[in-house]
Amino acid sequence: MAEALVVHNLSKRFGGLRAVQGLSFSVDEGETVALIGPNGAGKTTSFNLITGHHRPDAGSITAFGRELVGLRPHDICAHGLARTFQVARPFGRMTVLANVMTGAFLRNKKMDVARTRAREAIDQVGLSAKEHVPARDLTTIDQRRLEMARALATEPRVLLLDEVMAGLNPAEIDQAVALVGKLSKLGLTIVIVEHVMRAIMAVARHIVVLDHGQKIAEGDPDTVVANEEVVRAYLGTGYVHAPVGGGSAC
Amino acid sequence: MMRPRASVLWLGVLVAVAAVLPLVSGAFAIDIFIRVLLFAFIGVAWNLMGGYAKQLSLGHAAYFGLGAYTSTLLEINHGVSPWIGMFAGGLVAALASLPIGALCFRLRGPYFAIATIATAQVLMLLFLKFRDFAWGAEGTTLPNLGDAPLMMQFDGKAPYYYIALALLASGLGITRLIERSWMGYYLVAVGEDEDAAEAVGVNATRIKRHVYLISAFLTGLAGTFYVQYIYFIDPNTAFSFNVSVEAALVSIVGGIGTLWGPVLGTVLLEATSAMLQSWLGSLGGVQLTLYSLILIAVILWRPAGLLGVLTEAWDRIVHARAARVREVPLDG
Repeated sequence: MAEALVVHNLSKRFGGLRAVQGLSFSVDEGETVALIGPNGAGKTTSFNLITGHHRPDAGSITAFGRELVGLRPHDICAHGLARTFQVARPFGRMTVLANVMTGAFLRNKKMDVARTRAREAIDQVGLSAKEHVPARDLTTIDQRRLEMARALATEPRVLLLDEVMAGLNPAEIDQAVALVGKLSKLGLTIVIVEHVMRAIMAVARHIVVLDHGQKIAEGDPDTVVANEEVVRAYLGTGYVHAPVGGGSAC
Repeated sequence: MMRPRASVLWLGVLVAVAAVLPLVSGAFAIDIFIRVLLFAFIGVAWNLMGGYAKQLSLGHAAYFGLGAYTSTLLEINHGVSPWIGMFAGGLVAALASLPIGALCFRLRGPYFAIATIATAQVLMLLFLKFRDFAWGAEGTTLPNLGDAPLMMQFDGKAPYYYIALALLASGLGITRLIERSWMGYYLVAVGEDEDAAEAVGVNATRIKRHVYLISAFLTGLAGTFYVQYIYFIDPNTAFSFNVSVEAALVSIVGGIGTLWGPVLGTVLLEATSAMLQSWLGSLGGVQLTLYSLILIAVILWRPAGLLGVLTEAWDRIVHARAARVREVPLDG
């Protein structure tokens, strides 16, 4: 299958801190890839580099054959890469519908077209009942849903999800996993940063493990969780995988 | 939320009152009304930028002054009617907003505000220094042509009133068009969170540049009108810091990022100011102190502006059932 996203030798320093060092990985079209690793491993920084919010010191990022380094975030979004933020950043003063319409205007500036497109995205994430609620009044999980809907409204080909499941209860995690699975089935390429291992095991076909800004392992989920270095650096020696819906691992 | 028919009715009443007002008022009252309309218009222009997109400009005097000087120079040096000069002034202001915006938009928050103050001050200094170009610090009076409608000069005050009213109406119309289109959504999104807006495809720099252009154009029109009304121009009047502050203040007090906020804010501030002046003006300075205290109180306790207070109250009375907070904008 064709490659949707190729990250090659990516590096970023913040002063003396090497946030990302020589990171390379690629994501095939339609694939769901997870970035995991301890806090500070460089996952969110990688997202910020890919989506243009930070500029890398070295390396290249290509999506569907086009170099993204140097492009502004809105250009990258227009090229088909949409993201959510680790801490949800809704437009608080606007309603859910207005938030998502803002995303939909990227592809069509007409009010009614954008409204229809926004309603579809809101429906996909299950927020239809709260369409007219100001975003600042939403609960945490609903704000995350809103961010996903807003990203979906831009009609992306690659969706980058930054810890969309943090702080959710087990039932909510199951819902979120189902949603990610549904989006994947629709043909979206998904890159997901997540700490909830059982969710990752359920959605990701390929896992990239980061530690101190470097890739320490990658491969299919079962290989990765059996990797000694991954266990040492991140999972912990007590880690036993339990399937989604079946238990309370993590 | 007001139903469409109700709001059309209210608008009709408002327009009717505004149209009749000068016919039943004395010259002193009309003068106050004209100031209210003019500053409400400048506030509306400022609000597009400062209210919806939350780019706190404190340098709109730059565009006011450029508008004022452009039409005056055209009239005195080339005999061009201020009706044409007004639009030339708007264009000059709009053009000037491009380099000024390119410089200032690199900065965010308070730094942006400070940079805009500086641009207006620099322009004022340029007009003070270069005497040969535009009369320097002395300024100039406009030639009195008597009743010359084609040169935007009139005997009575009523025509000025209607011009200011038309300006305000067009400013409100433009605001409403923007508010109800993708531009309004983009502006509010940028005002709420610029990075998040960029992430969903909003070209924040471009939308800010565009709205700054419109805002500067409208403020330039106001500058021309003001000179035509007071028959005098000098750098201190045209680029007065007070104009910049007043533009921001009326919007903040009335409710930033709302269609009617600047209008309400101007009516209240001008009325308060005029009343305090007439009651306490003889006590030298007391009225200004009181005025400032009122401003501080509003900003401390009602940062959403008075329109926010009124709409909340309206919602509570009329729509107690629907727990929807009416906020302009934005709902789909």
